[in-house]
Amino acid sequence: MSELPLFPTTTVGSFPKPPYLLEARRKRLRGQLEPEELRRLEERATREWIQRQEELGLDVFVDGEMYRGDMVAYFADELEGFAIAGLVRSYGNRYYPKPVVVGPVGRKRPITVGWFRFAQSLTGKPVKGMLTGPYTIAEWSFNEYYPTRRELVLELARAIHEEAVDLERAGARFIQIDEPALHTRPEEDFELAREAMEIVTDGLSAYTITHVCYGDVPRIYPKMLELPVRQIDLALKNEDFALLEVFRKHPFTKDIGLGVIDVHSHRVETTEEVLDGIRRSLEVFEPQQVYVSPDCGLKTRTIEEAAGKLHSMVEGARRAREELRSPTRAG
Amino acid sequence: MRTTHVGSYPKIPDLPAPGRWRTAAEKLQRGQIGPEEFRRVEDEVTLEAIADQVGAGLDLVTDGQIRWEDPQTYFARCLQGFSINGLQRWFDTNVYYRQPVAEGPVSWREPITVQDYRFARAHSAKPVKPVLTGPYTLSRLSQNRHYPHFGDFVLSLARALNQELRALDAESPPVVQVDEPALLQHKDDLPLFREAMAVLLEGVRSPVMLYTYFGDARGVLGALADLPVQGVGLDFVAGPRNWEVLESEGFPAGWRLGFGVLDARNTRLETVDEVLRALERLVRFVSLDRVDLGPTAGLEFLPRRAAKAKLVRLVEVKRAALEVTR
Repeated sequence: MSELPLFPTTTVGSFPKPPYLLEARRKRLRGQLEPEELRRLEERATREWIQRQEELGLDVFVDGEMYRGDMVAYFADELEGFAIAGLVRSYGNRYYPKPVVVGPVGRKRPITVGWFRFAQSLTGKPVKGMLTGPYTIAEWSFNEYYPTRRELVLELARAIHEEAVDLERAGARFIQIDEPALHTRPEEDFELAREAMEIVTDGLSAYTITHVCYGDVPRIYPKMLELPVRQIDLALKNEDFALLEVFRKHPFTKDIGLGVIDVHSHRVETTEEVLDGIRRSLEVFEPQQVYVSPDCGLKTRTIEEAAGKLHSMVEGARRAREELRSPTRAG
Repeated sequence: MRTTHVGSYPKIPDLPAPGRWRTAAEKLQRGQIGPEEFRRVEDEVTLEAIADQVGAGLDLVTDGQIRWEDPQTYFARCLQGFSINGLQRWFDTNVYYRQPVAEGPVSWREPITVQDYRFARAHSAKPVKPVLTGPYTLSRLSQNRHYPHFGDFVLSLARALNQELRALDAESPPVVQVDEPALLQHKDDLPLFREAMAVLLEGVRSPVMLYTYFGDARGVLGALADLPVQGVGLDFVAGPRNWEVLESEGFPAGWRLGFGVLDARNTRLETVDEVLRALERLVRFVSLDRVDLGPTAGLEFLPRRAAKAKLVRLVEVKRAALEVTR
């Protein structure tokens, strides 16, 4: 596999599912479709997304998570010790299937490794192994079994570690462990989340990333830099890069996954906007620290919106590279 | 001892039953139904929430807050001076609310809860308790773009919500619950909070229960004892230190305690024995006839089946407690 360019472009994990797959998932829920048929369509959609990432010219790929629903419920379904308690409201009329821990948690078998191998077999570009972190799985589940949250989080960390090790053995050079719940209770729980991440990434030689989105990042900064990963991926675009001020005060000592695309807006950002975001980030980061990505997973956008946004992102990164090579043209 | 609910109830039933409220909310957004039809669905779901509470045997029920988008928006959208902004995390939960923004002077325009209270009362075999988000919590969870000082914002909101309480007075509710969970995160603001409560309760005749949750009242409980309220609600699950608070600060004489002992945020169903033991511990500080036994907070954190099981458990505990004390 080739070396990465400056400002490597990547995405946060999920892509929109094509209409035929959404329909198939609905049918499967109603028992009107065999699992093998659903699997065939998930593979088709994965192939299409790998192809699309090639065409867009991204540097580090993801499998697009065509086979996952909710990022926590997916792992809960695959792990030992969980059941789904039911639907719980998150806000407005948005509901999610909330898992419940009913027994000792653990890994029955590899969870994402098969999909990683499949996606990696389709491309020469590196594909990221994508995991949900133990703190977030615990925080977004009910717990009817463990006496303390700490015991549950650390047990989950061991299970996710096994999965990370298997991903690495299968050839993953990049492993991302998402912890969007990290700032739920930071004063009380940051140390626990850090300890859990230490268990997950222990002994890995792959390049490790954690993604934390929205919420109150300044409340966990600079403490956040203690997380034992190489890169922290953050949403900057949706608050118009306001976080840069926070990093100005205390230097960001890891690589940054720079969110330059707002995943909650239908509007497709222009190349200039992306370029401008990267330029602004270079006031606080060294160029070698910066990976370019959207703020979060793109699954809530349409395929066209997602592809349009990624096209601008890749172009913006390309122009940022050119500017650095011939600084006089930067104007 | 009274058994009572303290607020919200899941708006949709468990699968595979169709979530009518959810479908209707989607249709309303897409303009496929109008506000009147949506209100009819809210009416029906409110009746379900009341039926579950009355069916479980609760002594005092709420309307389930089916019409509340969240505890902030429901009030802010009816008050003068607010716009409604983007999503924010609600305390340390995985529930989000739309943040109200004070763009100008905030004031009361018209009754917010009265019509909903009348509807619930007319359809409930048990007394209904209206619930209000208190002025301190509502300001803490809002953005203030108008008032130079946060204190001015809080007191203006207290005046606005005082009018709401007075409007409820005319309906003679058995008790009104005022929710102030934010106090527990900002105990330094106690003097301002007391000032706000004085404004809020001025001239109000209905008994008021002041509810807190998601933490403990250490350092503030004793200082609230002279407020003209009927009592206070405390969360003994997220705030286990409330036990120490009872030890060190005592429980205000003559007050009722909203004893939040069934965890509203976890599906695990407490056993009758475990709650009985907690009650035994409690009677050293408050006599049982002054206890309102309830969940720690609103039950919308749970799927409906689990929420209903908690309500049933409250009544089982009360029955068992009466057996023991007989």
